[in-house]
Amino acid sequence: MAMVLYHGEPNGPSLAVLAALAESGVAVERRRIDLLAGERHALPGVTEPLARDMGIEGEGPVLVIDGEAMTESVFLAQFFDELSDRPSLQPRDPHAHWEMMMWCRQITERLSPAAALLGNLAVSRKGLATMPDEAFSAMTDRIVSADLRARWEVLRDGAADPAQVEDSRAKVSQAVERCEGKLADGREWLMGDLTIADFETYAWLAGMERVVPEAFADKPLTAAWLARVGARPSVAGALAEADGDAAAFWAPGPEINRWG
Amino acid sequence: MAGVTLYHWEPNANSGKPMLALMEKGVAFDSHYIDMLQFDQHRPEYLAINPQGTIPAMTHGARVLVESTAIMEYVDEEFPGPALMPDSARDRWRVRWWMKFMDQWLAPSFSMIGWSVFVGPMVRQRNPAELEAAIARIPLPERRVSWRKAIHGTFSEAEMAESQRRVARGIELLEAELGKREWLASDSYSLADINGFNLAYAIPLSQPALSNDEKTPNLLRWLRAVYARPAVKQCWALGRTDMVKRVAILEQERI
Repeated sequence: MAMVLYHGEPNGPSLAVLAALAESGVAVERRRIDLLAGERHALPGVTEPLARDMGIEGEGPVLVIDGEAMTESVFLAQFFDELSDRPSLQPRDPHAHWEMMMWCRQITERLSPAAALLGNLAVSRKGLATMPDEAFSAMTDRIVSADLRARWEVLRDGAADPAQVEDSRAKVSQAVERCEGKLADGREWLMGDLTIADFETYAWLAGMERVVPEAFADKPLTAAWLARVGARPSVAGALAEADGDAAAFWAPGPEINRWG
Repeated sequence: MAGVTLYHWEPNANSGKPMLALMEKGVAFDSHYIDMLQFDQHRPEYLAINPQGTIPAMTHGARVLVESTAIMEYVDEEFPGPALMPDSARDRWRVRWWMKFMDQWLAPSFSMIGWSVFVGPMVRQRNPAELEAAIARIPLPERRVSWRKAIHGTFSEAEMAESQRRVARGIELLEAELGKREWLASDSYSLADINGFNLAYAIPLSQPALSNDEKTPNLLRWLRAVYARPAVKQCWALGRTDMVKRVAILEQERI
């Protein structure tokens, strides 16, 4: 089963998946692509593009097996974990597993859209705004999902809703609060044992320290936990391969919840 | 063994997912019907179980579980009975992918339409002061916004058009996927089918121009196959409103 993982610079969902892959030891060919140049929408050999085209996560990594595109960082991490013969990153006990999945869902539904919006406004907007119209259209015309394309357009136009920006900053603070609360009993990792939740949370949060610094003030347990996750060889190894400042790399992510 | 209690509304959307998963597994449970239209989910006795005031919730002994898709995964892992997740890791990925796509992209669009045509009109006739007091008791601010829009019918034209676009696109995507294999995400019946049926059972009735035997033969084949399962009959029998009786359309030979 030939597997090719197309991923961006090690931040956000690409970092979560690269770390989980390294932890799993599963043999996968990795190819780095430029997510902000829209390369994800022109991958070779994809015959079943549904998950790439309609994934909730936006511009996250894509694993291709037998032409089928596979996406969503938490589920790719689970996939590698389930192929692995190393100690699992998923709790065996069903209730502990439920807690991990609930945690990851909170992160991907609340933190990820917020972090992606703020990160993109802070670093990606400038390059997209100065891109010639034809080049931008040529790039975004390949994007199948109308709502993902709209998120690229908002970023280029700078038409982000100020209320959403404010709410996104609050969501980052809430995520840090939740980490601090979870770590309050002195545990080393978020779920007790090291799990996918540590990598998923780290990947979305680490780049926010410079964008929403006040969220991290007086949060010593979270700071120490971020340092522990960052020191894992799986994470440090991925970060070492970055072409520049990894935490400053963002591409359009999940949409902000449209239901109220 | 510790008992299971499920707090649920109709066998529809989120409530129907753990109801049907428990029935497919053959797990006996105490059923507590929470009447969403009477705002039972925001009363103190329910908030004592789930402070977020969302339905469904499940207790298993001292454990309290929320979030319908996550509850289904727990039910499948915790109890004996037929496996509702496939054996292969790649198929499991596909089950999870479809559930997230439905939960976060497709279902909110169906439910915006459902709330504006069904839930809103049903509660709108009540005393405005009583309704406002009921809204004020909702713990999650996002849900307060949603309820206000549903009750006062103030979803914008653009919001409704976007939901209708997603419903139409979702029907096309379900039809295409069900043309690839017997069940939605793998060759065996799984949590993705339970999730999807709860979302899609009334599509041929609510979207007749987009879904019928001619236009979406695979979607109709699949809906009928799920509906034929004894657990589904047992589950939908617990419904009390006309909304869930729409499932009877699947008994027609030609739609």
